[in-house]
This record gives sequence, structure tokens and C-alpha cells, in this order.
Amino acid sequence: MNLFDNPDGKFSVLVNEEEQFSLWPATLSVPAGWTVVHGEDSRQACVDYIERHWTDLRPRSARHDPATTSASR
Amino acid sequence: MMDIEQSLTMRRCVHELVAEQATRTPDAVAVSYRGRTMTYRELDSASDELAGRIRDAGVRGGAVVAVVLHRSPELIVTLTAVLKAGGAYLYLDPADLAEQRARIVRDSGARFAVVTGGGTWEQAPEVPVVLRYEDARAGRTEPVLAPEVGPDTPAYVCYTSGSTGEPKGVVVPHRAIHRLIDDPSWISVRDEDVFLQLTRVGFDVSTFEIWMPLVKGNRLALAPPGFADLAEIGELIRAEKVSVLWLTTGLFHKMATHQLDSLAGVRHLLAGGDVLSPAHVQRVLSRYPRLIFTNGYGPTENTTFTTCWTPVGGAGDLPRVPIGTPIDGTTVAVLDDAMRPVPPGEVGELWVGGDGVATGYLNKPGATAESFVADLDPARPGGRMYRTGDLVRWIDDGTLDFLGRVDRQVKIRGYRVEPSTVEMELLRQPGVEQAAALAHTDGAGDSRLVAYVAVGQMPKAHWNAFSTALREQLRETLPAHLVPWAIIVLPDIPLNGNGKVNRSVLPRAKVPRNVSNDYVGPTDPTERRLAEIWSDALMVEPVGIHDNFFDLDGHSLLAAELLVALQEEFDVELPARTLFLRPTIADLAEELRRQIGDQPTEPLEAAADARAR
Repeated sequence: MNLFDNPDGKFSVLVNEEEQFSLWPATLSVPAGWTVVHGEDSRQACVDYIERHWTDLRPRSARHDPATTSASR
Repeated sequence: MMDIEQSLTMRRCVHELVAEQATRTPDAVAVSYRGRTMTYRELDSASDELAGRIRDAGVRGGAVVAVVLHRSPELIVTLTAVLKAGGAYLYLDPADLAEQRARIVRDSGARFAVVTGGGTWEQAPEVPVVLRYEDARAGRTEPVLAPEVGPDTPAYVCYTSGSTGEPKGVVVPHRAIHRLIDDPSWISVRDEDVFLQLTRVGFDVSTFEIWMPLVKGNRLALAPPGFADLAEIGELIRAEKVSVLWLTTGLFHKMATHQLDSLAGVRHLLAGGDVLSPAHVQRVLSRYPRLIFTNGYGPTENTTFTTCWTPVGGAGDLPRVPIGTPIDGTTVAVLDDAMRPVPPGEVGELWVGGDGVATGYLNKPGATAESFVADLDPARPGGRMYRTGDLVRWIDDGTLDFLGRVDRQVKIRGYRVEPSTVEMELLRQPGVEQAAALAHTDGAGDSRLVAYVAVGQMPKAHWNAFSTALREQLRETLPAHLVPWAIIVLPDIPLNGNGKVNRSVLPRAKVPRNVSNDYVGPTDPTERRLAEIWSDALMVEPVGIHDNFFDLDGHSLLAAELLVALQEEFDVELPARTLFLRPTIADLAEELRRQIGDQPTEPLEAAADARAR
């Protein structure tokens, strides 16, 4: 089973400078340019965290006009 | 495989490139459709007008705009206008049911739509702001300013059904399209080239079909809306003098079989979207040795193409058509389950990175963060890579070999089987025009491989013999677990709207018996009932009374299930070895009659009839 698929595995939530989120297996080292913002936690808890906190899917540099609706939540 | 130079390429917005092209070649034909033509100047000014209205409606920064128009020059104007206005187009097919469109509108949360003609709500159900294409002619022609739009602004949303689960809207930014069409090394476009827009705009290959010619000053010929038949497509290719053509796998196989003549004027043929048959590729290349052929591979999530394979010396006798090497601005990694790179030759999952990686799944941050994750490549700090779910390996010449979907693999008698291996072998056989292989589950929950072959005009009287001969042929070339349990002959295998084999509509019914002894039907109610029970358990129809249970692919697990059913039905004790000793219905019926003994057949018949209802 791939590390990302393990329902009982420990995971973290990573964020990059563009404020994009990534689920991440806690056993893997964190790649350059990413920061842990949540975890270690269960897979589901990490996904829930992402659902709550990632409110605009566009990378930060594409969010010039925050007042309008966009291809985001 | 990192290419730093490419990653630093300045990425641009697609509509800017189209507008610049219009300045360079204003009088060149941009779009041709059923004898009508539209020049670059006309495309540019018509899209400026419409973009003004879309912008005035409130579209900003990649807002989703549903586009509900049949394929037509107006559609191309609208797609260009949405981009100029700063929107992201979401194509909805007017030919689909309103309910289908409503479902996608709901999922996307689209607040804007462009439609044509009357009945606007029907066309874009549940969208608050609906603009009619016809109303857009306000006479305003100055270009729209959308200062917030940049390379990372969403340009379109493309819904994919994927192999499992709910449809997801893939959000693709300008950056990703630019990486596909800007100065590609995998295709060399000439000024006189003519492209054909043939695939549904909801299918992401249309990104290549539409924007590649329009940023290079080529003519884009449009196929009529709906799914044309092969002869019509062939005629269109000839009449429009199409020289660069994409054919999705299923359609490619059909065209290579039935419409090879129509490809005479094609200079560069690209195909893919599903596993290609080397035999069909070879057929095309043998007929047209100077034609450039490319296998284009890639998930929607990495914008149309991820890798391309263009053979120099034909497809030869390759067992599979390779998917090649990453295109410009694209990185690939073949990783094992622990996310470590696998050595060349070993099978791993393909992860892809670079400028083609989509923004994510619309309104689905969780699903996005599960599939689009931090790129392990230290050369790309903060970058993301997408998990394709495809199994590949590096082959000796430095190209990638596609081995199937992780989730399409099935277990047959303990072996991991990729159905496309069987499909390729079937497509090699003379007389087979299309092939599909699927795993069916029998009464005991076991999977079996069932293959479907399309044979076109072959008379029905020959189907049985053909199927048997095919199976014999496969026995000689494939390991036993890869030989389909049954091969079902059909005149044709339908393609879906995207030109892929539509596996979901293949008959899931029972398969014909595939044993060599003659069929002898049941002679009394006991035998008739037994034949029904066997038929259900084995998924074979009909079952003859002298057919051997094990020849029909019965096995011990299934035998156990069957005995339980028989004991309940006939209220008798049957030892486990019964079926091994008496593996035919005739023998088993005799045993049942013996056990029931002096009981006449009357109650048995009544019970059987009651159950049979």
C-alpha cells in the first residue's frame, strides 16, 4: 500500500509559500519549500484540517482580487 | 529529469497570445466550419465584444463561466472571450440532459454562463447570471482590461469522471496551457498546418486542439457537433485538408482499420487517451512511412500531455506502445509505495510535476491535497506533484512504458492482471477491430476475465467458431491466467463521447458456453432446475446436461457454493466430493433421483417450480 493510502498511518499537513496545502506521510522528510502546519495526526483529521483551512485553491499570487468569486470555495 | 531552464520560462496568458497572433496575421483564417471562415481579426474583435459583457457581469480572477454552445465558430469566440474577461471556462454540452448540466453547475458553483438561442434556464440550469451570445453585440470593440489575471489564474475547468468516484472539476491555470503550447519540442507546427477540433470540448485534449493553432496562426477546422461516423470524419479530414490530427485511442483504432485512406494528407497524427495497439500504429506507419506519429499520454490533472512518444523507425513488434519522455516544462518520477524512486526496469507509480500541474479539484481542497502533494524534487522547492495512479517503468532507451492503471488491475486466480495486456493481444489477431477486457465476478465472488471483440461485418454464423479459435490462439501466446474465460463477439464496441472504448455499456450478461461437447438440453424438471442453478453460479448460458462442471470453469469454491444451494433446494445430503464424482447435470440429476429414491418426482417438481419463479 502506498504511504499516502494508509488509513491508519500518521500524517501531517504541509503548506508552501503559495499557500497551497499537501497531505504528507509523517514518516517522510518534509521537502524544501514546505512547512508543517498541522500534525502528526490521523489521515482523516489532516484531510478535515485542510477542508477547513484551504479556502481559496488559487495560489496566493493569483489572488489579486479577493472580493470576487473565483475558482475556489 | 528536472529542466531548470524550462521551469524559469516566463509563463503567459493564452488570450494574450491569441490577440498578438491576430495582430501578426489579421487576415489569416482562424476558424473554418462547414464552408464558413472566420479570420483572426474577426475572432479577436468578436471575442473583445463578448469579453466586455462578461467582464461587466462581474467576472474576475478566474471565476467559473459555464459555456453552453455547440461546437461552432461562436464557441471558439466565447472560449476566447471568457479568458479575455478573466474567467475560467467550464464547457457544458448542450446535447447532454439538463439534469447532467445542473449537477455539474451545482458542483462547480458557477455563477455565470454564456448560452446561445432561447430557453436560457434549460441550457444553464441554476446559474444566476446567464448571458446570451446573440445579445453580446454591443458594438464595443476595445480590448478588455483584466489586470488581476496572470499565469496562475484559472483558465478552464474540466470535469473528469476518473475510474472511481464522483466527477471532479480539474482547475487548469494559464501557466499550464502555456507550457503545453509554447515552443514545444514534441511537435513542430508549420504555418500551413490545419488542425481539427474533433474531441468534446469537455475533454482536455481540446486544449491542444484549440489553443495550439490559435497561438501560432494556423487554421482550426471544426468538426460538426455530436459524434460523427467514421466515413464522415474521414471525409472531413480530406475536405478540410487537416494536417495535424488527434484521435483518441478507440477512434484511432477504428480509423486505422476503416478509414486509412482519409489520413493521406495528415502530416502529424497524435493518438492516446487509452492504451494504443502497436499493430494499429504499425498499420498506419506502414501505409504512410513519412507520417509523424505520436503517442500522447497524460492525465487531465497535468494538462493534456505529460509524456509523448514519437517513434523514429516505426512501432516494430513492440509489445506495447511506449508513452515516451516528459514534454517541455514537465518532470516525472517513478516511485514505489514508500515514495522511493524505483530502478530502471522496475514497475512503479508515475508522479508528475512542473508547470502543467493543475491548480486542483474545484471546491475540493481535501481531495486536492491528497492527489497534488509536495514535490520531492529538491530542484523545485515548494513545487507540487500529481499522483497519476498509472503504473509505468523506465525501459532501456530512456522512455516510459505504460503498464496500466493501479485501480484497473484485477486479481485472477491469485495473479495480478492488467486487462489491457489481453486487449493488446486480441487487437493483434486478424479480424479483431476493437477489443475490451473486463473482470466479471462469479457466484462465489471470484473474478474472471471476459473479453469482448468487435468483428464488424463478419457474418453471425461465424462468431462462435471465431471466438473459439481466438481463445485457442491466445492460449499459445499468453499465460493461462491471462486467457479470457470467455470471448464475446459483437459487431461493434461502442465508444464514449471522448472516443474511448465505453466499457460501462458492455453486456454484463452471462456468457455463452465455451466447451467443445455438443449441447444437450435438460430432459426433465430436475435437470432443468439444475441447469438454471449452474447457469447462475457459473454465469454461463445455456448449460447442457453433459457439460462438465470443471470444463465450464467451475472450481472447488464454486462447487461448495453450489452444493449448499442444491441441499437447500432439494433437501438432500450431498457430500463435498459429489461434484467431483458427478460433474455433469445428467449424473447429478441421477444422484438426486437416487437419494430421493421412492419419493416420486412430483414434490420435487413442485418445489423446483416454486423456487424457479
